[in-house]
Amino acid sequence: MNFNLLFALALATPVALLLACLWRPARERMLSLLVLAPLPALAVALVALLDADAMPALMLDPGRQIGLSLDQPGAILLGVAALLWSAAGAYAATYLRGKPHGGRFAIFWLLTLTGSLGVFVAADLLSFYLTFALVSLAAWGLVAHDDTPGARRAGVIYLLLAVVGEVLLLLAFVLLDVASPGASLAIDTVVATLPESPWLAATLALLIAGFGLKAGLAPLHVWLPVAHPAAPMPASAVLSGVIVKAGIIGLIRFLPWDAGLDWWGAALTGIGLVTAFYAVAMGIVQSNPKTVLAYSTASQMGLVAAILGMGLAVGDREAVTAGTVYAAHHLLAKGALFLAVGVFAATARRRLWPVLVPAAILALGFAGLPPTGGFLAKLAAKPVLGSGLVGLLASLAAAGSTLLMIHFLYRAAASASPDPGARAAAGLVWPWWLLFLAALLLPWTLAPLAGLSPWSVMTDRSLLWSGLWPILAGGVLALALQRWGARLPRVPEGDLLALFTGSPRWANAVGEMLERTETWLRQWPVAGLSLLILTLVLWLPMLTRP
Amino acid sequence: MSSVTLFGLCGAALVGLGLYGLIVLPGALRRIIAFNLLGSGVFLLFGVIARRGGGVIAGTGSDPVPQALIITGLVVAFAATALAVALLRRLLQETGRDDWDEDERSDR
Amino acid sequence: MLSNLVAGGDRLLVLALILPVASLMLAFVLGGRHAERIALATLPIGLAVAVAIAAAVLHGDAPLHTDLGGWAPPLGVALRADGLSAIMLLTTAVVMVAVGLFARADFQVPPGTTESRAPFAFWTLLLALWAALNAVFLGEDLFNLYVALELLTFAAIPLVCLDGRAQTLAAALRYLVFALLGSVLYLLGAALLYGAYGTLDIGQLAARIGGDPLEPAALIAAALMTAGLLAKTALFPVHLWLPPAHAGAPAAASALLSALAVKASFFLILRIWFDVMPELLAQMAAQVLAALGAAAILFGGVLALRQARLKMLIAYSTIAQIGYLFLIFPLVASPETAPLAELRNAPGAWTGGALQLVSHACAKAAMFMAAGLIAASLGHDRIRDLGGIGRALPMTLFAFGIAGMSLMGLPPSGGFMAKWLLLLAAMQCGQWWWMLVILAGGLLTGAYLYRVLATALSTQGPSPVLVKPVDRSREWVVLGLALISVLLGLVPLSSFSLIQIGRDVSGIGVGLP
Repeated sequence: MNFNLLFALALATPVALLLACLWRPARERMLSLLVLAPLPALAVALVALLDADAMPALMLDPGRQIGLSLDQPGAILLGVAALLWSAAGAYAATYLRGKPHGGRFAIFWLLTLTGSLGVFVAADLLSFYLTFALVSLAAWGLVAHDDTPGARRAGVIYLLLAVVGEVLLLLAFVLLDVASPGASLAIDTVVATLPESPWLAATLALLIAGFGLKAGLAPLHVWLPVAHPAAPMPASAVLSGVIVKAGIIGLIRFLPWDAGLDWWGAALTGIGLVTAFYAVAMGIVQSNPKTVLAYSTASQMGLVAAILGMGLAVGDREAVTAGTVYAAHHLLAKGALFLAVGVFAATARRRLWPVLVPAAILALGFAGLPPTGGFLAKLAAKPVLGSGLVGLLASLAAAGSTLLMIHFLYRAAASASPDPGARAAAGLVWPWWLLFLAALLLPWTLAPLAGLSPWSVMTDRSLLWSGLWPILAGGVLALALQRWGARLPRVPEGDLLALFTGSPRWANAVGEMLERTETWLRQWPVAGLSLLILTLVLWLPMLTRP
Repeated sequence: MSSVTLFGLCGAALVGLGLYGLIVLPGALRRIIAFNLLGSGVFLLFGVIARRGGGVIAGTGSDPVPQALIITGLVVAFAATALAVALLRRLLQETGRDDWDEDERSDR
Repeated sequence: MLSNLVAGGDRLLVLALILPVASLMLAFVLGGRHAERIALATLPIGLAVAVAIAAAVLHGDAPLHTDLGGWAPPLGVALRADGLSAIMLLTTAVVMVAVGLFARADFQVPPGTTESRAPFAFWTLLLALWAALNAVFLGEDLFNLYVALELLTFAAIPLVCLDGRAQTLAAALRYLVFALLGSVLYLLGAALLYGAYGTLDIGQLAARIGGDPLEPAALIAAALMTAGLLAKTALFPVHLWLPPAHAGAPAAASALLSALAVKASFFLILRIWFDVMPELLAQMAAQVLAALGAAAILFGGVLALRQARLKMLIAYSTIAQIGYLFLIFPLVASPETAPLAELRNAPGAWTGGALQLVSHACAKAAMFMAAGLIAASLGHDRIRDLGGIGRALPMTLFAFGIAGMSLMGLPPSGGFMAKWLLLLAAMQCGQWWWMLVILAGGLLTGAYLYRVLATALSTQGPSPVLVKPVDRSREWVVLGLALISVLLGLVPLSSFSLIQIGRDVSGIGVGLP
């Protein structure tokens, strides 16, 4: 009972802080309280993970099963997400100190936070849709916070794609609900009957497109490299770390894992692998270190999708665990690296090494560098990906990640402060160190879930070698990039978006046409005649009885 | 031709004239008068229905309910006309124009 | 206590009519400063009456019914309140109270004078509008309803041109004459119905039609009455009068007109199609209505997006939102709904439509009042120049935003629940094309809201200069109404059983177990 109270507090705390923002003095001091908002959620996740029997559940409408509940993937992601939100909140308090509009930032931060934690615990279609919409739409305020022309453009693109994603998911949820007999809206229940749904193909396509968009799967990844660099540093960290995971938890929750949908699994794996390589190719020609990181996020989420797709194909729930562990590591490490970019920019070049070395360790962790947490994430995914073609492609993608991350380290080092005396504020440095340690060590505590023992893993040479060779291969590629990279063409942030610049003119023409129609319709004789025609149009079909 | 048919046709003709005038004719006052013509046609129709009987109190030769409706309807139509003419007078004082057609860019 | 209410329910219906009329008379006679006081005193009583009627209907689980003066139809006139009427009465009362509180600052008699024209007109017209609305929601006689609709129009028209500018005078006159054209068509239909069936009482008409095929005259009557009411509801393409009238009126009046006045004629369409001639629902004509609704959603959405002035934008948004209401006709009617609905405990399109009716009323009134506050404090309502208003009037903008959220259909608002139910119903009927319209309408709504909110939240440039300070209490009223439209989505659906009371649910094909 008390645990359920704590569970309720996990979402109630950020909501309470939001309400406090209605009061101006509280709003102005809210930035320094952001660090506290996710802590109850962190506590819930810890308790739930330590005692697997104590998964909490709060039902608001038992008849239709509307409420909140926690399961193991949800608890893992909730825990690491709360940790990142807390650290990034502390970072934000320092990062935005003395800048204007801190109150507005805090409001959007808390809104996004509430939705972001909510998607991991929502148990039914409506709660999930509510929290998903909240995290998607409120994050606009973070993306567009700086209110420069660039940030405004990023905000529009972000919002447009987010709303498209919402629409796709709303359709999918309606199909899910209509196909499921009974009143229950619980995600488990409606997904259990999905394989028998007459609209199975449409539902799966909409779910994969909607969640894939949020997770950054190609070709709907275009918002990531536009939105992430535009946001203030701590917001980029949560966008790239946590918010894309809303898509991952969606895939985990809504795909029917026991059905063995081989064709759909293969399609998801294919999309994932294409994303993994495509994002690397687009990332290495970027110069802004935050853009490079955003592309890396797309690439890594491609791998998670590939892992999930392999599991979907054969009806294997192990893939969910593997995908969750992989996503949890990425969440922490990517969040940490975004915070590091802010630290780089505030540090003089000669003082850079104490930041650059741990950043390099984390960066190569994405490629599976032993003994980082990333190595464990790769090992957990290994049995799911298998040793065939997909396994090989995943290893090659790791080599690509190495290449991309070395490119990132170069670009990040180049962004060091030109002021020789510059030193990052303590409030920026300690959250980064905290996340660094968490990304390095925490995944190892998840090893038992994935059926791995840390000690035997670290003493198995063949495993170590399987983790190391993609990094060496990626290192060689990086040398090549260093040598000949200048010859590569430049690609604008958001690559494919460049194809869609012509659309406003077309839309404008339609709008003008409708305006002329409106002027015509509003003339008195036209309107009077329309009314008479309307009478006839209503009357004539009445004559033809069905 | 029975009187019911004749009055019915007259009512229909009035409705037709009224609709034409209300929709096609320019000028607010003409349209208001056309509305009255239209209303008269409808009231005549009610009269025809009353004359024809067929209501609840059948057998008395004529039905009193539609006649009550006509009287109420006349009052409503009179009130509507008064309101419309009052508005039109005010509009005329303000602008000197006898129509309500939209000024093209006035709302923009 | 509740059983007493049910027993005295008939008297409550009469009270709901008499109260605003008596206040109106009193205000008219006493005049001057008393008009405002009387109107303000009437607000809570009227709200209490509406609450009592809703409670009596819900508790008795049956419609309230009374024959005025003990005369039975067709000679007498009956009043009836079923679930939907009760909800509409309640919505009207809530919006009236909010608008009344909001309007106090705009329509005060200036100190030193005993009476001035605009305040006196506003407060008496507010009461007249309320009386007419209650008469529409309670009326059971089609001719009586005609009179009620005319009274509604007569009360609404002067509200449009309270400021006496030439532009609003023209808008009011256009509104009046077009509404008159609509009511003549309605009256013509009523005459034909009386000729065919010898009564205009809705209950008796339905009983005489029974399950028989409709007579030819009844079909023409249905078409004429529906078209006439569409003209008053401003459904696309006969919406010519709405944008200038709603955008030109003072904010409080716009709120009343957009939230309530257009809903009254829609309510009558519902009564004709569902209560008098349910056979119509199974026909192509239902598809025609929904197609017009769909056109309104898309057309109104695009036009709203292209407006330069905030109040015009909101007026076009009303045109789009009215479109959603007409989607329920083919969705409720489809024969495929019935078995699935019984199977699934789905409250269906009927509940969705009613929810849309109520949540739009609250949200739209809140938006117009918020726009009024913005326009009053800035001295204009050009969307392009709203920059930074988010800092100057955060609470107003917040209210505007969450009301817009309900219109757009974002969870957890009432608008979301309405659209969710409509989407489900469309899918269940196999009419998936309406789903696309609903979603496209949501996108357009999001787009025009973004235009306003992004400009208003902009941090660039200096804070705007407010020509007039904004009264905090008025902001609270707007926020309260906007919150109601959002909270409607959080009410568990099972408590919407009120909406179904008095419906022959088996005939319509939706029902709660």
